[in-house]
Amino acid sequence: MKEYDIAVIGGGPGGYTAAIRASQLGLKATVIEKAELGGTCLNWGCIPTKSLLHAADVLRAVQTADELGIKTGKVNFDLSKMVQASRQAAGRLNQGVGHLMKKYKIDVLQGEAEIKERGLVSVNGVELFADNIIVATGARARTLEGLVPDGNVVWHANDAMTPKKMPDRLLIIGAGAIGVEFASFYNTLGAKVTLVEVLEEILPNEDAEIAAAARASFERLGIKVLTGAQISQVSVGKKLKCQINAESFEFDNVISSVGVMGNIEGIGLENLGVETDRGFVSVNSQQQTNVAGVYAIGDVAGAPCLAHKASHEGVIAVETIAGLAPHALQVQRIPACTYSHPQVASIGLNEAACADRDVRIGRFPLLANGKAVAIGETDGMIKTIFDRNTGELLGAHMVGAGVSEMIQGYAVAMQMETTEVELMNTVFPHPTISESMQESVLDAWNRTLNY
Amino acid sequence: MPREIYLVKVGMTMTEGMVSEWFIADGAEVKKGEMLYALETEKVNLDVDAEADGTVKHLVEAGVTLEPGDVVGYIFAQGESIPDVLPGATSQPEVVVSAEPVAVESAAPMAVEAVVSEGFVKASPAAKRLAKELDVNYLTLQGTGPGGRIVEADVQSAASGQTASQQPAVAAIQSQSSANIKASPLAKRIAEQRAIDLSQVRGTGPGGRIVQSDVENLGASIAQASGPVAGDMVPVKGMRKTIAQRMHQSLQDSAQLTMDMAAVMEDAVKLREQLIREWDGAARPTFTDLVIKAAAKALQKHPLMNSQFGGTGIQLLNEIHVGIAVALPEGLVVPVVRHADQLSLKEIAIESARLATSARNGTLGLDDYAGGTFTISALGMFGVDSFTPIINQPQSGILGVNRILDGVAWEGETPVRQKQMNLSLTWDHRVLDGAPAAEFLQTVVEYLSEPYRLLV
Repeated sequence: MKEYDIAVIGGGPGGYTAAIRASQLGLKATVIEKAELGGTCLNWGCIPTKSLLHAADVLRAVQTADELGIKTGKVNFDLSKMVQASRQAAGRLNQGVGHLMKKYKIDVLQGEAEIKERGLVSVNGVELFADNIIVATGARARTLEGLVPDGNVVWHANDAMTPKKMPDRLLIIGAGAIGVEFASFYNTLGAKVTLVEVLEEILPNEDAEIAAAARASFERLGIKVLTGAQISQVSVGKKLKCQINAESFEFDNVISSVGVMGNIEGIGLENLGVETDRGFVSVNSQQQTNVAGVYAIGDVAGAPCLAHKASHEGVIAVETIAGLAPHALQVQRIPACTYSHPQVASIGLNEAACADRDVRIGRFPLLANGKAVAIGETDGMIKTIFDRNTGELLGAHMVGAGVSEMIQGYAVAMQMETTEVELMNTVFPHPTISESMQESVLDAWNRTLNY
Repeated sequence: MPREIYLVKVGMTMTEGMVSEWFIADGAEVKKGEMLYALETEKVNLDVDAEADGTVKHLVEAGVTLEPGDVVGYIFAQGESIPDVLPGATSQPEVVVSAEPVAVESAAPMAVEAVVSEGFVKASPAAKRLAKELDVNYLTLQGTGPGGRIVEADVQSAASGQTASQQPAVAAIQSQSSANIKASPLAKRIAEQRAIDLSQVRGTGPGGRIVQSDVENLGASIAQASGPVAGDMVPVKGMRKTIAQRMHQSLQDSAQLTMDMAAVMEDAVKLREQLIREWDGAARPTFTDLVIKAAAKALQKHPLMNSQFGGTGIQLLNEIHVGIAVALPEGLVVPVVRHADQLSLKEIAIESARLATSARNGTLGLDDYAGGTFTISALGMFGVDSFTPIINQPQSGILGVNRILDGVAWEGETPVRQKQMNLSLTWDHRVLDGAPAAEFLQTVVEYLSEPYRLLV
């Protein structure tokens, strides 16, 4: 029987990162993956959708190139080639993870794992011994009753990433990051997109002001947004018929993106009595479950379900196993991005969460930013929230072009525990959209210079 | 007619002085009230203001020793023609500047902080104006401008509470030390706001960097340490208040210390049982009664232990009255067995029983409390083996009675079970030293170990 220091169940961004860190620390690790290395993120999530959304961005740029004096003639696109490009990107990265596993001498076992007892894992009937087990099985989309994906009318996210033909009318249920990204993509490609959210505003995890600004942009671009919406009388035939807020609709396709649930079944958690809570494994700040030697990381260990959170948790779990003293991940310092057009990015507390705190809030519209004006991307704003007494940066919220690449500035500031002073004294390059990040800070102290 | 600038006389004893520095250059304009020159004498340095607007002409250079009242220069009013050759030095007999408040940068360091009249402090006009606006007493500030001149920034920082100029040394040290500590800006700011000394905080960030949580957790633990969650308030009044005051007073006013010594109680246990049978209800001796009798006899032999320490000497007492501490629900009372040395064991047993009953019934008379010369406090019934009783002032000793336990004695090489009891003697070291105190305790122990001697 093979023996390992660590067996990682699941080869997504949490699992493979954990295995690499284990190898760096001299621990013998194996990654057990039932599908593809890189997991959902790399194969059926973050990466291919970024390729598709980039294609959409390029299409939009070409469509509007005339404004800048660029003659393009009639613009067409080849959907299958777009999908092909996205699959190639995923494929390349998947291979890359494979190379990394080889480089770090990590055994990759293809198959389904089940924990038989403490330290004993069975992979397709072959048993192996591992002192420590890291559960990194991720999460899957929740399905709504009556809307079981059929690959035809009712799309699974995977179907939505590999469309055979463009839908004329597309319904997207659930306006979280995933729903909004699909809405943005298909809207840009010309589908009539209806984005439906049961809550009062889209992007419910975001700051309400930012979400409202994003919604206004989406609606200007042609997406029909219905919030506080109830869907009823759903019938799936050749088309999807339903009532939304008592109004009748018909769609060619529907994507439901109403959240995820942890993949906690079939891996033997119940054999050990590993505690779960509402579909996710319960862990402490070192990613330890209630069972000694069993850890859980990433989506299966609970929200926020983000790849970068999973990777950090993987490192924390392995360093705990190695007897190091890793720092606990602070949820409030995990940024989140939505890659729609415009993009949304945030970190920390939103304004509603600060309702009972004494705060200063700064806002800066991209309309007043030179670079944004120069490149015609004035749609958006930067909002910052500080503790009035200590100057702690509590939250930052952005909507606009390229903000997903900017939010890390605030993340670094938070991790370094800067106050407003350091952010004000930092020299930002001109002209950049990121200058707005500083202006927002200045505005919190009524010192904004360009607005 | 130009206005003379005199070398001002500062105090009646000033015989000479000099312009150590001209603040207004030769030929430059001055406004009334602006600093004109620095005066230096043997004792005092101060700045002299211009008394009028105009153009300044120097008659003497800085550094020339003169007599007070000598003319050192002129101020020509606007439009007044300035001659090529200035009028010769005329002397003004007595221009005495109020001698009282002069000491700025005085040779005598004590005087630096003395009250200083406004005109003589080096301060920029803007600083003075700002001081007035912000209601800052700039006279007490230390200037950071050239030559210690008070500039606007000094007033500003004083007003904004950054009292660097008012407490220069301390502030400098603090900022220096905190600058050397690795801490996040946020942690530093929170520490400053909560007056936490960062040098006392252990950092948990990379490389021991102090981060927000370190400071906040410290704040929480300090808050917890200084103020635990409060329960009900028990009022301190009546007997409790008296006990609190007297016990604290006793410990503050004397030099108390305690020693333990074990008595063999085999015979005392037997004797007590025999006496209970013998007296058949007429009296029922307790172990404390045995100790009272033993202590009373020992006090006869060691009179220093039966005394009061006074300012002029140690007052030996001819009578022996032994107090017994009796615990009541509301506190402690100490009724007194008077003339314990003269009472038989049976009489002591009867008297102590009466006192204990009266104490519990609340019927003790004033006489019952009065005149104790030594005290016995028993905690043996609670299983106590040793404690440090507090002397009932103004006495010199108190004897703690502990439980009787099954101790071990050695008969040759064989361990045997033996009834033993610790006695805890607290005495006042001002009155007697350890050796005589131990001798007293030894005597008590001997009587208890050979209890039949208590009957004679």
